[in-house]
Amino acid sequence: MGYLFISPWLIGFFIFTLFPIIASFVLAFTRYDILSPPRWIGIDNWLRLLEDNRYHNSLRATFYYVFTAVPLRLIFALLVAMLLKPSTRLASIYRGIYYLPSLIGGSVAIAVVWRQVFGLEGLINFILGTIGLKGTNWLGNPNTAIWTLIILAVWQFGSPMLIFLAGLKQIPESLYEAASIDGASGWSQFVKITLPMLSPVILFNLIMQIINGFMVFTQAYIITSGGPLDTTLFYSLYVYQKAFQSFEMGYASAMAWVLLMIIAFFTVLAFKTSRFWVYYESEEVR
Amino acid sequence: MKKFGSVLLVVLMCLSLVSSITLAQEKIPLRVAWWGSQDRHNRTLKVIEMFEKKYPNIKIYPEYTAWNDYWTKLNTQAAGKNLPDVIQHDYAYLSEWATRGLLLPLDDFIAKGVINLSNVAENQISPGRVGGKVYAINLGTNSQAILYDPEIFKKTGVPFPKVGWTWNDFREAAVKIKTKLGIYGAEAITYADAQAFKVWLMSHGTWLYADDGKSVGYKDDKLFSDWFNMLLDLQAKGAIPNIEVEVARGTLGVEDMFIVTQKSAMGHLWSNQIVAVSRAAKERTLRMALVPKAPIPNAKPANYLKASQFFSISSQSKYPKEAAMFIDFFTNSIDANKVLFAERGVPISSKIQKALLPLLGPAQREMFNFISLVEKNSLPIPPPDPPGASDVIKNVWNPMVEQIMYGKITPDKAAIEFREKVNKILQQR
Amino acid sequence: MVGGTKGRYLNVLYHLITFLLGITMIYPVLWMLGSSFKESSDIFTTMGRLIPTRFTVGNYIEGWKGFGNVTFTTFFKNSFIIAGVGTIATVFSSALVAYGFARIPFQGRNLWFTIMMITLMLPFQVQIIPQYIMFNRLNWINTFYPLIIPKFFGGAFFIFLIMQFIRGLPLELDESAEIDGAGRLGTFWWIILPLIRPAMITAGLFSFYWTWDDFLGPLLYLNQATLYTVSLALKSFADPTAVTNWGAVFAMSVLSLVPVLFIFIFFQKYLTEGIATTGMKG
Repeated sequence: MGYLFISPWLIGFFIFTLFPIIASFVLAFTRYDILSPPRWIGIDNWLRLLEDNRYHNSLRATFYYVFTAVPLRLIFALLVAMLLKPSTRLASIYRGIYYLPSLIGGSVAIAVVWRQVFGLEGLINFILGTIGLKGTNWLGNPNTAIWTLIILAVWQFGSPMLIFLAGLKQIPESLYEAASIDGASGWSQFVKITLPMLSPVILFNLIMQIINGFMVFTQAYIITSGGPLDTTLFYSLYVYQKAFQSFEMGYASAMAWVLLMIIAFFTVLAFKTSRFWVYYESEEVR
Repeated sequence: MKKFGSVLLVVLMCLSLVSSITLAQEKIPLRVAWWGSQDRHNRTLKVIEMFEKKYPNIKIYPEYTAWNDYWTKLNTQAAGKNLPDVIQHDYAYLSEWATRGLLLPLDDFIAKGVINLSNVAENQISPGRVGGKVYAINLGTNSQAILYDPEIFKKTGVPFPKVGWTWNDFREAAVKIKTKLGIYGAEAITYADAQAFKVWLMSHGTWLYADDGKSVGYKDDKLFSDWFNMLLDLQAKGAIPNIEVEVARGTLGVEDMFIVTQKSAMGHLWSNQIVAVSRAAKERTLRMALVPKAPIPNAKPANYLKASQFFSISSQSKYPKEAAMFIDFFTNSIDANKVLFAERGVPISSKIQKALLPLLGPAQREMFNFISLVEKNSLPIPPPDPPGASDVIKNVWNPMVEQIMYGKITPDKAAIEFREKVNKILQQR
Repeated sequence: MVGGTKGRYLNVLYHLITFLLGITMIYPVLWMLGSSFKESSDIFTTMGRLIPTRFTVGNYIEGWKGFGNVTFTTFFKNSFIIAGVGTIATVFSSALVAYGFARIPFQGRNLWFTIMMITLMLPFQVQIIPQYIMFNRLNWINTFYPLIIPKFFGGAFFIFLIMQFIRGLPLELDESAEIDGAGRLGTFWWIILPLIRPAMITAGLFSFYWTWDDFLGPLLYLNQATLYTVSLALKSFADPTAVTNWGAVFAMSVLSLVPVLFIFIFFQKYLTEGIATTGMKG
């Protein structure tokens, strides 16, 4: 019976997903420049990872990004979701406004916009100027460039926010009413009702943000191209550069599979710890 | 479930509608691919229309996008053995593609006159040659240039660049402009693709890669460190933008060069880009000078004629002759070139050049004049970059430039490291 | 809620914070809007200004014309077909699969769930070429098939999303439905589906927007301009090596936001009504 329900995905998996995944795994053991057929080279690609300096730069940049952008984005998204939860007319307008930045996505326009915002004469430096601070060249300074991308990620917090919002809406109002009658404060309502009831959704957002965080690509691709000094050379960007600009698809595939293992490790970690903090209404099914 | 079923039905109908568009017609189908922006797409599409009118038995399916995406797509198509018939190509990738047998040699078509090159000089054909065979036809001639703003030069009393000027003259001019006006003397010299450094080597009588493509071509590491010491000096004096500034603005397009906003007196670019820059600068007069020579006695010219881009034919093409006819139309039709209007660089046919000359605007005339100046002051085009060159530029040169300009490594040290790393990459291939 | 002056202060504070934050959020978008009304040559020279000095709608007219004879009317139509059909397909198939994973115990469930999560973790960059070869074998290149058909088989992200929402629902719901004699499919269709409407609308919004915004798929699989989507057309406007009409780039970027924004505003109403209309009475 279960297989009947998951059959759409199962069929799709075997038809569309399995082959590319297997192919990329096999390619990881070859030298493949795309234009001529792949040649088997054993584990050379994997060994090469150990001594590739730029690869290490990309690891550093990616971990830095994941451990800053992911929590910031989640916290911000949850805060805004709480802020916008009321079903008033105004709140729905705000929701539209807050979601708008997330819709801009990865067009060329965002590269120009972002450069304006963080440029020497841009918005950020203007705001800093009004409170008497001196700005910097955010995108050109190796210490700050990655923060422009982190802030961009936080700015485009719309998708986790929307999921939180949907989750908040699913919490029965009656629970809050009962708590209010018992005299529970706003904070204890948040801790005792909101967080536990929302925890399956928090887990979802956490896992998806970890996955997406490790695979972050578009923003760095269109705005910084990995620079300066490789400080924004995110993992996927380096994979792309190796695959399509240096024509080392085999090496890129090996890198991709290492990333898969890294992400899997953190995802399993999140799942394993989830039993201590995620509350399911339907406990038995787990 | 009923609703879902009807939705499905609509979907399937949509899909079948879409697929019917792509059903083969009886005409000879020819796929033509190029990169560019809206302006180039429109011009090229108009020429395609003209071609189809002339040859009603041929139907052209254009495939166009922007530079970066173009190569992602084209490489994927190559892997899938589904390449377009006519492929716009670049010198950087041409030899790799030709040696892998992905492109068709065009010598037969040229000999038979399907592609008529009788009005084309040899130095316009040679960029398309790989291993003695012509694999690609030049769509427009280009050369590196120093773009300068004559108004600013006049204002500061700095003499205009002359034929035969050297990097010392360049440095002097840039610093003087900086001290007098407080604006940058020049910009974009450190740019990502090592082009300026390559012609600096050329003017020293050597090249970045050895003839066999297995090692660095120049013998003396001083050439490397001299180049960067000059740039560091200019950067320290504020005569060129700080590396932070260069990195921050990225490579969106030539439209946002500092020379457009009069924040810089000189810039480094390919000659066909003057049209875009001048347009952005609201048709203010901008001029082009040859790339400065090396500051040594008997320095060689620092310019060569390059193809801005090529058309080539896929070796998988089922209709190579028709593809060749299309390339010929592009090269020799006066009407077509009036539409294309030298947007891809100066046309290679002397007949076309003559026909276009009276119609040109000031920026394009500057481009034509500059190319004829280069023809008299240039070396033959250097051999195509060896396999692995894109790896060298992306993974060694670019990071190295940043490290040097950010002051993380001295030019002397970098010179040694650069040589080691490049040799390693080239020998692996 | 809380009466008296304290409540009113809180209320003012709430609106103040939301408003100020909103302005910061939307500033870059406004800047983009402003630039779309500037003369093309002014965009880079007057980057610091929000309001154009010379106001023009020419960018919209010039941009809409697209390339050759193919205008943005075509691109928008294509995007609507791909994103619309794809979204409906993904949401329903994903909900079905999610129910299977969340509620029905069966052998190998954890294994398949793990495999599904793993498919999310492999960078797409290395899958491009095998995928292309596969679709080329199927003879699907230059059609919408590679962009639409896979959507009928659910998306791992959406399956997981909807799963988490289903797992948040009390199990008694299913049980009581089964007592009433509804089969699994009936339970899914009559009980679960209405309750997870917020999750499905959320998934739908994402799916629509992501498909709308995706340009790599269209880039690889669509060759003819008559099949191009808005996102791909936008990318084809600008080229660092040629003359670029930046005004048109901004104008069309702004227009490409309009449909997604409208769909969002329209559906977020349902998102907030979700519980109110279905009632969580169990």
